Amino acid sequence: MIDRHDETQELLAGYVLQSLSGEDAAEADRLLTEHVPDCSECRMMLDAFQAVAGELALEAEPATPPDTLLPRIHREMDTRGRPGIRWTPGRLVAAAASVVLVVGAGGMALSQLEDRKTAQVPAADVQGLADFVVQHPTLLRQPLGGNAQEISARGVQELYVYGRGVPFPAPGLVYRLWAVSAHHATHLRDFLPYPDGTVLVRLAIDPSTFDHLLVTVEPAGSEPSEPGDPAWPEAG
Amino acid sequence: MRDSDREDLELHRRLSSGDRGAFDELYGRYAGSAYGLAYRVTGQQILAQDVVHDAFMALWRTPEAYDPARGPFRTFFLALVHHRAVDLVRRESRLHARSERAANLEPLVGEDPADAIAEESYLGVRRKEVREALAGLPPEQRQVLEMAYFGGKTQVQIAEELGIPLGTVKTRTFAAMRKLRAALEETG
Repeated sequence: MIDRHDETQELLAGYVLQSLSGEDAAEADRLLTEHVPDCSECRMMLDAFQAVAGELALEAEPATPPDTLLPRIHREMDTRGRPGIRWTPGRLVAAAASVVLVVGAGGMALSQLEDRKTAQVPAADVQGLADFVVQHPTLLRQPLGGNAQEISARGVQELYVYGRGVPFPAPGLVYRLWAVSAHHATHLRDFLPYPDGTVLVRLAIDPSTFDHLLVTVEPAGSEPSEPGDPAWPEAG
Repeated sequence: MRDSDREDLELHRRLSSGDRGAFDELYGRYAGSAYGLAYRVTGQQILAQDVVHDAFMALWRTPEAYDPARGPFRTFFLALVHHRAVDLVRRESRLHARSERAANLEPLVGEDPADAIAEESYLGVRRKEVREALAGLPPEQRQVLEMAYFGGKTQVQIAEELGIPLGTVKTRTFAAMRKLRAALEETG
């Protein structure tokens, strides 16, 4: 009998080497999201394999990068600064605007949302979530209701809304995602589940800049002025 | 924990609070290994520079991504470099060109032997241990590991290239990783 952990860890070995493709990659992504975070044995093996992957780098001959590289990095450090600033509501609004660029779906047209009904979850998005889970061992998970959850990591300007078996809203309605602070709610984006009920939304936003996420259900194409009815009242 | 790992930890702590001097020191320690690795994987200097640039910027912007509880900074950072190198190669669809170049890599322009020697004195011991651990693998296991890690090939591609079942590639990879883990933990 094949040990389930051995089977998982065999995939993890290929995963840390980035050598999986097709069904194996999809299965590894699923395991990394649903099994590994709660399995100490597989988590320990994943850490160990990642350490090996880091050590293997030393087999390559070291080489001196061009003298221009560090100044180039310094210039970018000066230009882009670094995250970690606690944002004011004004900055939060700016961040919401940036979400449009990142997910390419903020304020999406109804036709684009309709496309979702025939689309598959992009493999790159699933890979992105799996990488996020792997890179941030101290994940924060906040149930949002409707089988969806917020997945974030302290100090990281990125979070995911992920769920399986998320029900579709009634025809003509969409889910609307808000970042809610004490006296302010910022519209982040509208979304619908994929045909299999999966929701996977990546947001480039610092979770410390708002109190919680809220999902409401709204008429598709409506102006996102303020939050309407919670989509899943059982949350929080 | 080795002294060098403890020093890295302290540098990372300082970097996390915005200390640029600590960033530069970590660059001095790892830029050579990172660039050598990125060049080995991508086969192109310009791509290797982009990989090292992106990896150090990621470190500066989200130092929290490294959790000391999960191992030395060195392995975290070089795994990050490797990850980005393979990603870049696949994204750029330059595997063919890279493979041709990687088969006969020329010395990198601007390489400074003095720098290389300084870097070696710091990481040299571990480098030797890693190479010994790799040399201790059965040839067929080492082959699939190197094709995946440095060749950036998927297990499916490796199976096709070697004419062996995919399951065999998986088994050999898993066995190699477990053996390396045991060998490197013993010496680490």
